[in-house]
This record gives sequence, structure tokens and C-alpha cells, in this order.
Amino acid sequence: MTKDRQQSVVDGGIGAKNTTSKRHSRRKFLVKAGSAIAAGAFGAVPLRGFAADPINIGALYPTTGSMAQIGVGCVAAAKLAVEMINDAGGIKSLGGAKLNLIISDVQSDTTVTRTETERLITGNRLSAIHGCFASALTLIASEVCERAKVAIITGSSSDQLNKGRTHTFTPFARASQFAKAQLQMSKLVSDQPKVAVIFENTAFGTATSNGLKELAPGEGVEIVMFEPYSAGFTDASPLINKVKASGANALFSVSYLNDLILIVRTVKQVGLNVAINGGSGGFVIPDFYKNVGQLAEGLQGVAHWNHDMDANAEKVNAEYKKRTGEFLFEYAGGLMAQTYMIADALERAASADPQKVRDALSALDVSSGFAAMAPGGKVKFGPDGKNVYGRPVGVQWQNGDLASVFPKDDARAPLMKS
Amino acid sequence: MADISKWKVLSLAALVVVVLVLPQVVKSSFAVDIFIRILLFSFIGVAWNLMGGYAKQLSLGHAAYFGLGAYTSTIMQVDFSISPWIGMVAGGGVAMLASLPIGWLCFRLRGPYFTIATIATAQALMLIFLKFRDLAWGAEGTTIPNLGSSPLMMQFEGKAAYYYVVLGLLALGLVITWRIERSWMGYYLVAIGENEDAAEAIGVNAPRIKRDIYMISAFLTALAGTFYVQYIYFIDPATAFNFNISIEAALVSIVGGIGTLWGPVIGTVLLETTSALLQSWLGGSTGGVQLTVYALILMTVILWRPTGLMGMVSDAYQRYVSRKPARA
Amino acid sequence: MLETVVQAVINGLLIGGIYALVSIGVTLIFGVVKIVNFAQGEFVMIGMYISFYLASQFGIDPIVSLVVSMPTLFVIGVLIQHFLIRRVLGPNDMPQIFLTFALSLLLLNLALLLFSANYRTVHTSYSDEAFHLGGLYIPEAKLIAFVVAMGLSGALWVFLHTTDLGKAMRAAAQNRDVATLMGINPDRVFCVALGVALALAGAAGSLLMPFYSAYPFVGQVFVLMAFVAVVMGTLGNVIGALIASLLMGVAESLGIQFVGADSGLIVVFALLLLTLAFRPNGLGGGRMR
Repeated sequence: MTKDRQQSVVDGGIGAKNTTSKRHSRRKFLVKAGSAIAAGAFGAVPLRGFAADPINIGALYPTTGSMAQIGVGCVAAAKLAVEMINDAGGIKSLGGAKLNLIISDVQSDTTVTRTETERLITGNRLSAIHGCFASALTLIASEVCERAKVAIITGSSSDQLNKGRTHTFTPFARASQFAKAQLQMSKLVSDQPKVAVIFENTAFGTATSNGLKELAPGEGVEIVMFEPYSAGFTDASPLINKVKASGANALFSVSYLNDLILIVRTVKQVGLNVAINGGSGGFVIPDFYKNVGQLAEGLQGVAHWNHDMDANAEKVNAEYKKRTGEFLFEYAGGLMAQTYMIADALERAASADPQKVRDALSALDVSSGFAAMAPGGKVKFGPDGKNVYGRPVGVQWQNGDLASVFPKDDARAPLMKS
Repeated sequence: MADISKWKVLSLAALVVVVLVLPQVVKSSFAVDIFIRILLFSFIGVAWNLMGGYAKQLSLGHAAYFGLGAYTSTIMQVDFSISPWIGMVAGGGVAMLASLPIGWLCFRLRGPYFTIATIATAQALMLIFLKFRDLAWGAEGTTIPNLGSSPLMMQFEGKAAYYYVVLGLLALGLVITWRIERSWMGYYLVAIGENEDAAEAIGVNAPRIKRDIYMISAFLTALAGTFYVQYIYFIDPATAFNFNISIEAALVSIVGGIGTLWGPVIGTVLLETTSALLQSWLGGSTGGVQLTVYALILMTVILWRPTGLMGMVSDAYQRYVSRKPARA
Repeated sequence: MLETVVQAVINGLLIGGIYALVSIGVTLIFGVVKIVNFAQGEFVMIGMYISFYLASQFGIDPIVSLVVSMPTLFVIGVLIQHFLIRRVLGPNDMPQIFLTFALSLLLLNLALLLFSANYRTVHTSYSDEAFHLGGLYIPEAKLIAFVVAMGLSGALWVFLHTTDLGKAMRAAAQNRDVATLMGINPDRVFCVALGVALALAGAAGSLLMPFYSAYPFVGQVFVLMAFVAVVMGTLGNVIGALIASLLMGVAESLGIQFVGADSGLIVVFALLLLTLAFRPNGLGGGRMR
């Protein structure tokens, strides 16, 4: 009876003075003990990477959460690149030192990205990092890297990544360049393109679509609809209904994969005759074709990397296909090139020190080899971390694979008319 | 009983010393990060506990105030260069004001309606911040300017300073809870929590008490929001109004013991440590393993001890103490 | 213009049918067992995966696979009630909420672990086709889903009002203690409630498969709308949940059409908060029907 009463009355209630003090001290002991155990566990964890020989490279990708499939593919590609470099002899200027890839899952979540980036950097002696696919996540990782003074190299397209940073490198096309390419491609299918632009409302969608809005008049393209939408909808019909009402003959969708699948299928259901340009991101991965099937044939997109760009790209594509059974998609191929760029920097720096690697990266200037796998075949960083030769390539789904079709210099296959 | 009080004072002193010295002794930055997370979520849990634990108003929408606090101080800093210290208090003020209409709407509801309404308000705020980009950068969010070491702008080199700031916040929350517990308000809260109608019948002004405690709870939660932005350098609606924050605020209290002073702290230590350990051990393996294990642990705790672990601890302590012979 | 509005309403109704299946399950559980099931979306997901595997391995049409997914989920529901939920039933509703929440987390990640994050799609002959009436179009797959959903809802209503077990459930929902006194075994009734509710969720999953892709997190997308509908229609009120779901679907669709493509959810929430401001117990009036 007494016990019941004590349990139902909060600490400090009438008549419970003694119990209160007992509970207090007991609790405090628990908290103290718990913290001590935690401290012991973590303080006692030995820092990895003291051995000078293998060079640690961090890779941050979302292998769980909403972007998981892409993350998983990226990790496979990251491992493949490191293996290829190690098999070819490692970093020769450091006595054949091997690259050691340390991977972390950022769970498609901004907070986790922050803590994982920190954890990776402080728990290991890293020479450089690459990641994280989604621009929103990469922005955060970049902030952490800037403060920790470790170089991060990324294929994420947000233009923000080149503002006010010294340790962030972007070898591939920026969101604004994607926009321009998309606009120019719309003229391939129609002389008077009337474009409906729909975009998911986070960093990725907003950055790209802003570029579209600004550049459209200059390219002679009329935008008849410009709408952000909340990603992850249950039904694309209302959205497509709006597209239909706008009278557009082309649809630019800046979306992640699940929405793209719905959009493409709904357009078919509605019987709407629009040329879809799915941009990049979820549009240019094998999973898109797997889920949409024949409907994907002839659809155009833009990518910052494609496996038919040059012989080296086809080589890594073949290797990747052997392991995963799928073609090497944009982000994954790009990050393989980035691994080679890091290796190139290590060679020239002849050191694993992150500051020296960062300096060597900023002086990167390649036009051949795996490190130069990029549209245009050249990589050189300007003072803002941008590749001065960076540009996107227009792609089209042909026979279940992606072929580069635009601009003329980069076209590896003729444009399929639908 | 003299030895018990002496023991209590000694443990308290030892705890304070350990907690203050921890960041100086533990060199691993990763570990200090965990401690900061523990302190932060303990604080958020303590803030939630005032309302959800004592008065049993199960709100799962506290992320609303977290986000409001975070955005207020960030807008003031990025647009007007006002220090986040001031912004933090301002954010608390904004949250208090917001809790009035939200409280008005939600407190008219009972039980699960109340809970779902609180979830809806947090979600609604997130949607508003997502849609109205002119308000606060929309879905893209923003990073706070990198000022290096700038204590006046709440940015520090190294983690130790952040640790002490959030420790201060937790201490504030605990002191406030302790004072309220011992005051008439504390009794009223518990009465409302046990049976609101009965409490009103004996003259407790439930609506006013609920409104007041909600304001305090909201204020404190908003402080946490500001700290969080300053710590992760980034804010966007999905992070600021994240449903997981609402859940964790309630969960740590429930696991640790609702309606108790230290319950949220214990719950946080357990949950965060478990989560961090799982991330370390299983984070690199197949997607889903780590959270599956975490969920299983959570379910086990809930099934085994639905009233929270504090009950188990005090029971054990009771048995231990009752076996000791009485001292004159 | 009128055509656009009518089309928007049609779109809303069709998807509302799916919301209805999910929300009726939630409201049924709440009405009878008095707990909020945060994991309902994950059972929809399970239904989708069942249909996916039957379709891809055996070529069974997802609509046909209802006969597998519904009983399977019924059994799962009974098991969950008997072994998990029963242990946390009591005056304190906090453990219940967190149990279902933890269950949701568990199922999500288990699915991620077992099935990977890849999207799974099924293409049937009617998947991407639509009926065209003048300028309007009605997607075939969604129409079938709507009709079946309404049929199942109707069947549930009949069950609740004409069968002994159904009446027992309603009795337990209205007053558990008196029902027990009348000889109704609460645990048995709860098991059936969970079973039926999860079976409906599974049905929603199967019906979705022809036009929606399955992935571990798919349930989360639908569960939010379902919860709003449940609250709006009054917790425990099956007809309320149905009508509210259809209303939500239409409101969302019209919101997207006329307010903004990112405003569907805002409109829905605004409606919810408005309803609660004037009718704190939802539109249904409080009793389970």
C-alpha cells in the first residue's frame, strides 16, 4: 500500500521525503555510472589509421533511408575504384601504399550526415572524403570538412558547394549547367518548346529549377508551368492534371526516383503527349528502367557522367557490370573518377596529410586516364573548386541503357525519335 | 538514515565533478559528440517531461517549438547579424507565444486526439516553412556562416565549449523541473495527470495550469533548437521540425520514467548510448540491421517494463534499503 | 475549367478509396482495442510485397493475390494482438503508442534488410491504361482498386452489423466492461479487430501494386493521410473514416490543382485543424458505427 502510494506520487510529494532522497542518490549514481561506462567505451576505442602505410579515404553515402538504392550502388563503385587502384600498384610515390576505403552510411538524413562525417574524420586519419549523392546531405558534409580542413570531392550539383569554400571540389557539372543543357535539349524535339517544370522542393530540385527559370528566355524556351511539389506523393494524377491544363509539350521533372516512376506512368495513363526530360538523379539509374520498363524508351535526361563517354569509362562500366549486373550509373561512375583524382593528388603530394592532399587536388590538371573520365575529358579546378571544363552530357534511354546524345561532341549514339 | 544523506551528497558531488571534467579527460571528439547528444536530448526530454510526464499530456509535436527556436535564432543571425545568444532567448519567446494558440486548439482535445493534433501542428509548421521560401530559405535550408571561433556568436573551436553550453541548458531544465516539482504547480500537474476531471472538481484551474506549463515546456524546447543549429551548422524544415525529435523527447522520458526528475536523463543515456554503439558496430553493414536491432531493444524494454525503467530502479533500491537494519 | 475540376475530383476520390482502406483499419483498432496503431502503414507495405512476390514468381495478378494477402495479414494481426499488444494494454496509453511505433520501426528496417531498398513494380495489362470519357480519364487500375475498396468497406459494415462477432466488437468498443459482463471475451474480440484491420491494410497493399511501386518506406506515405482521415471522421467511427478519407483525397487533389503542387498536404492539415477547432471529436459524433 505504501509502496503504491509512493509510486503514484511524484518525487518531493508529501510524506515521501526519505524515498525522494534515496531515489535521488540512486539515480545520480546510475547517471554517473552510465556516463562513466560510456566514456570508457568510447574513450577506449583506439583511433584507427595510425599505421602510416594504408591511406584512408572516407566515403559517405546513404545506404539506408529513402535514397538507399543509389547509395548502395555508389558504395559498390567506391570499393571497385579502390580495388582497381590498389591492383595497379597503389600510390607509387608513397612506396606503393594502398588505399583503404572507410565507408559510412548517412541514412539519407541530415543530422546523421553531420555526425557521421565528424565521426569518420575524427575516428580515422583521413586524407580525403567523397560523397554524399544528395545535395542537401553533401552541403552538410562539406561544412564539416571545411571546418576540419579535410578535402571533400563530390558530384553533387548544388551551386552552393562552390561558394566560400576552400576544401570542397566539384569536378562535374553544376545545377545551372544542367538547366541549360535541358533547355537546349528540348529544342531537339520541338521548334516551339513549351515546357512545364515540376520539381521536388528540396535543395536538388530548387537549385536546378531556378537555373531553368533564369536561362529559359535566353535559350528561346517558353516555360508555361513552374511548380514545386512535395516529394513522396501518393498519386501523381493531380500534378499531371495540372501539366495537361498548362498546354505544355515538354515536361521537365526534377525528381527523385519514386516520384519519377509515378510521373512517367501517370503521363502514360493520362495519354498525355509530352516529351519528358527527367533531368538527372533518379532518372539516370538502372532502377528507373527496371520499374518503368518500355515507357522509359526515348526519354531524355542529363547526367554529369555516362559510361559511354570514353574507353576508360566503358572499361569501368564492364567491371561494375560484372559485379552488380547493372550498368554503371552517373553518380557511381563519377565517384570512381573522383577516387582516381584523389589518387592522382596523393601521387603528386607524396603524402597522406590532408592539407597537402587538398593542395594537390586544387592543382589537379588531367586530360587522360581514369581521373579524366568526365564529359569533355578534362579536369582542372578553379579557385572555387569548380572544374573549369565541367559540363553535363545529355542522355537518352535506348534499349534499356543510357546513351549520350547531346551535345554533338559528346554524342555517342544518334538521338532516337519517338 | 544519516549515512543515506551523506551518501546522497557525496554521489551528487561526484557526479557533478565527473560531468564537468569529462570533456577534458576524454579526448575522442566522437565520444564528446555522443555526450553532447545525450545532454541535448536529456534536456529536450526534461522539457517535454514537464508537460508530458507530470501532467500526462502526451504531446508528439514538440518539434514545432524546437524548429521555431532554431529558425528564430538563425534568421536573426543570418539576416540581421544578431548573436544567437540573444536569438536563443528570442526563439524561446516565439515558442511561448506559439504555444498559446496551439495549446488553445489542442487542449480542447483529449487522449489520442490531443496527441494527433500536436503531431499535425508540427507537420503543419514544417509544411509552412517548406512552402514559404521568402520566410526562411524554404526546403533548401541554409548553413550558418563559418565564423571559426566566435563565442559571442555561439560558435566554438572544438567540442568542449558546446558540451558546457548544453550542460548548462540541461542544468537549467533540471532546476526548473525540481522547483516546479516542489511547488503547488507540481501538485496540480500531477493531479491533472492522474485525473483531469477530478482535479477540476476539486478546484484546480486545469486550463490555466496546462497553458502555463506548455509555455515553459515550449520555451525550453526552443532553446534546444537554437543550440542544435549552432552545433550542426545547418537548418532546413525537415531537420528543424523532424518528427523524430518529438518522438525522442517523449520516448526518453517514457523509457527512463515519466514524471520523474531524472527519468529523461536516464532514458537518454540508455537510448543514445545504445543507438551510438549500434551505429558503430553495425552502421557499415547491410542497410537496416542497426535500426532493426534498435527497434527490437526498444520493444523489449516497452514490453518488459511499460512504466519505464525508473520504476525498476527504485524498486530494486527499495528492496536493497528495506533489507538494511534500521539505524537509530 | 470545369473539366479540370471534375478530373481533380475523380482523381481525389480514386486515391481516397485507398486511404479509406488504411484508415478504416486504424479506426477499427482504435474503436475496439483503444490503441493507436502507428505501424498500420507497414502492414500495407507487407501486403504490397506479398503481391509483388506472387506476381513476379508465379505471375498471379495483384488483385487476385488479395486472397493470399488478406488472410496472411489477418493471421499476423491476431498474433500481434495476442503476443504483443495484450501485454501493454492498461490505463496508461503511452507504452501502447510507443510499442506500435517501435513495431513500425522494426518492420521498416526488417523490410529494408530482407528486400533491400530497391523499388519493385508490377506491370499488368491494365496498369498504365485508362478509360477515356470525353476529356476525362479514369485510370483502370485505380478504378478497380476503388471499387474493391468500397466493396470491402461495405462487407466490413455488414459484418459489424449483422454477425454476432461483429456486434460483439461494436459492443466491446462502446463499453468494454459491460461487454465483458455480457459474456464477450475481450481478447478474442481484440484479436479479430487487429486481424480484420491488418487484412484491410494488406488489401490496400495488393490493390496498390498495379500502379504504385513497393519499397520499404511506402507505408509512411499513406499512413499520414489515413491518420488525418481517422481523426477527422472520429476515432472509432468506420463510416466516418471512410467519408473523411474520400474527402481528404478530394481536398488534396483540389489543393494541388488550385493552391499549388506542394500544397496538397497543407490543405489537408488546414482542414484537420479547422475540424478539430469546431468539432474536437471529429465529424462523426464519437460513437463507433
